Amino acid sequence: MKQKHVAVFLLLVSLAGLAGMKRLLDRLPRESVPGSSIIYIPSGRHLKTFSFGFSSLLADAVYLWAIQYFSDQRIRDRFDYLDHVFGIIAELDPAYIDPYMTGAIFAAYDARDLETGYQILDRGLENNPDQWIFPFQAGHYAQMLARDFTRARAYFARAMEIPGAPAFTRRLYANAFYELDDFRAALTHWLEIYKQAEAAGDDRVLQIASNHIYKNKAAIDKEALEAAVGEYRDRFGRLPAALSDLTKSGILEQEPRDLDGDAYSYNPETGEVTSKLWWKR
Amino acid sequence: MGYALRIEDLHKSFKTDLLRRRIEILKGVSLTVTEGEIFGYLGPNGAGKTTTMKCLLGLIFPDRGRIEMRGRSHLNPDARDRIGFLPENPYFYDYLTAREFLRFYAQLHGLKKSGVETKISGLIRLVNLERSADLQLRKYSKGMLQRIGLAQALLNDPELVLMDEPLGGLDPLGRKEIRDIIVRLREEGKTVFLSSHILQDIEMVCDRVAVIADGRVISQGSLHELISRKTFFTEVTVSGLDRRELEAYGRCLTNPGGEIMVQIEGPERVDRLLERIKSSEARLHSLVPRTENLEEHFVGMIQAK
Amino acid sequence: MTIRAIAVNTFREAIRDRILYLLLFFAVTAMIFSRLLALLTVGDRVKIIVDVGMGSLALFGTLMAILMGTGLVYKEIDKKTIYTLLSKPIQRWQFLLGKFFGLILTLAIMMAAMSLIFLLLVLAHAGRPTWDMLAGLAFIFLELGLITAVALFFSCFSTPILSSIFTLSFYLIGHLSWGLETLIAKLRPGAGRAAVQIVYTLLPDLENFNFKTEIVHHLPIALPVMGSALLYGLLYTAFVLAAAILVFRRRDFL
Repeated sequence: MKQKHVAVFLLLVSLAGLAGMKRLLDRLPRESVPGSSIIYIPSGRHLKTFSFGFSSLLADAVYLWAIQYFSDQRIRDRFDYLDHVFGIIAELDPAYIDPYMTGAIFAAYDARDLETGYQILDRGLENNPDQWIFPFQAGHYAQMLARDFTRARAYFARAMEIPGAPAFTRRLYANAFYELDDFRAALTHWLEIYKQAEAAGDDRVLQIASNHIYKNKAAIDKEALEAAVGEYRDRFGRLPAALSDLTKSGILEQEPRDLDGDAYSYNPETGEVTSKLWWKR
Repeated sequence: MGYALRIEDLHKSFKTDLLRRRIEILKGVSLTVTEGEIFGYLGPNGAGKTTTMKCLLGLIFPDRGRIEMRGRSHLNPDARDRIGFLPENPYFYDYLTAREFLRFYAQLHGLKKSGVETKISGLIRLVNLERSADLQLRKYSKGMLQRIGLAQALLNDPELVLMDEPLGGLDPLGRKEIRDIIVRLREEGKTVFLSSHILQDIEMVCDRVAVIADGRVISQGSLHELISRKTFFTEVTVSGLDRRELEAYGRCLTNPGGEIMVQIEGPERVDRLLERIKSSEARLHSLVPRTENLEEHFVGMIQAK
Repeated sequence: MTIRAIAVNTFREAIRDRILYLLLFFAVTAMIFSRLLALLTVGDRVKIIVDVGMGSLALFGTLMAILMGTGLVYKEIDKKTIYTLLSKPIQRWQFLLGKFFGLILTLAIMMAAMSLIFLLLVLAHAGRPTWDMLAGLAFIFLELGLITAVALFFSCFSTPILSSIFTLSFYLIGHLSWGLETLIAKLRPGAGRAAVQIVYTLLPDLENFNFKTEIVHHLPIALPVMGSALLYGLLYTAFVLAAAILVFRRRDFL
């Protein structure tokens, strides 16, 4: 059947041809603006309408794309729309946890834009109030990357309240007070932690708490002592020779002792008070 | 005089979709059609008439068997140039007028532009559609569609004309017209192969027939050969003779007008009665020899299977 | 010749299909709607009009191609017009090619109409139609041609609904094959990877005909790219038509 042979021949030739062309085309460079197509996607709300019920699938797709996109070093201005893109994913599937975390990582570490990171994590918490990880992570970034303990404290406070948050969130929270020089509040919180640990029979946390309690008390005492030293100097024109002078001169009623009952060390030349555990500064 | 068409041992079965059961439609059809004759292909519905025809036209590919048209394979492109086909219940592009439609098909035949219009007009006249020639086919009645179908079948002046139920759904006048055209085709030297289950029409026009039942040709030959021309009895209608006398010749029936019909077996007795009538004042009203007709033969054959 | 006669007849039949005009209406509406979209976005207005305009042209053109391609052959078989047609001295492949070219002609007319409206829209928004834009439109048409061939292929042996689904799948696969490319890069070399590579090479890559990004960002389209894409499109179309011819050859018309 000659006709059949012609058709089969044509089939094979065109198949070979198209395969060859395909390989050629793949190798030809094409000018492209990577990610250009996403620049004008409207807000996620509109996208959700057009996804016809496949919004979570679309969220997956956008998320997968976003990972590739934001990892692409060639695109220099890729972080301009970081919040936009992750906002879209959040609109499409608010309960999808990973993107919030990943977006925040991109923001914090790659884009060095903590504000955006906070925004993304805040959005995550807003949409999923039961997820302690969002404020926890935000607090972590605040603390580690910016040493912004005010913010960290606020975030840890928030995280603490959510059931399921790890126990040490509380400790981070307490510690934030310490970092912010609010030793009294820190002490209060650490005491609570101590009590809880005692009740739970948790020796490890007990140890940690007692160290922190010591530290904070020491800090409080140090403040008080050094203030007294200053007053002494104002009054008498010279630094006291020993801490006992403070009580003798009546500036202090009592010489504060550390938690172990030991006295604090005093350097008469500089007027500095130090404690056994040398943690602060 | 060769064979216009020869079919040998045609087999065709179909798979019923996903169930993978094969249904055998044609179980070994064989027949021959001589040039210049009108050949009738009859059988009950579902016997395989249309399937056979589609095999002839290359619309269906048989599993086994041979088809030859004038000694050549039926799939030979030249072969289809010499065939005309009128399908059952024809349907055409309904937005075209009859003339436009015929022009389109003329192009497919590769007919030269110069003679085409005359030819089309001639065909339209032949099938009596002059008044509706420029009407869209969507407005055509069934009978009109059948006639335009016949016209397109004759476009290329074919030597062999295949018709699938050409007289179906036509009124008596329409049937007569088509029958006349068919006979005319034979006069022009064409061979006609038509299938039908309306026996009276076959009887009236066909030279030879083949009967197909259940996928096989169970009988083939000229009408003469198939139907015994034997006279079973003769019905003679008489008046003026006494019934009791007539009863000696055969069964009697008195009809409302007063005449008596006698069923007489054997030509000698008929002659004797005629003599009797001549020699008396009796009157002969009618004399009808009763032979087997195609319908009886056909039914008998089918029932015998 | 035969193919031409059938093509003209197919065209005359296809152009009467009301679905085409409905889709045309939607396409124009979508293009005008892009104006509204432009207001909602964070970007350049003309960019979005060009992108959405060309996008809707491509989308509705594809729908036209699919609906026409799957409907027409099936209709012929269903209404039995095909019996008398194929009993004429024409080859089946001539019938198929005639149908194909008739559909292409119809699509060309529809595309011309949509393109005209698109270009007018661009002009109305102070954009300037460029040669590259016209090239982009031409490549959309090439893609539509390929899709028509695919629709025709499926309708040779399948019902209109299934054919439409298959053809639509072809279209979707064609635009998502970059995903396979990413996957290949992450696979370890071996038989599995080679197999996926073969599949990837043979699967349609309709993105080769998509020059929207270049047009919208005024990037030049390299001639070798255009030439290769054109050749690719023509070869793929030829491949599909050859397959259709082979399938159609021995089909029984019950």
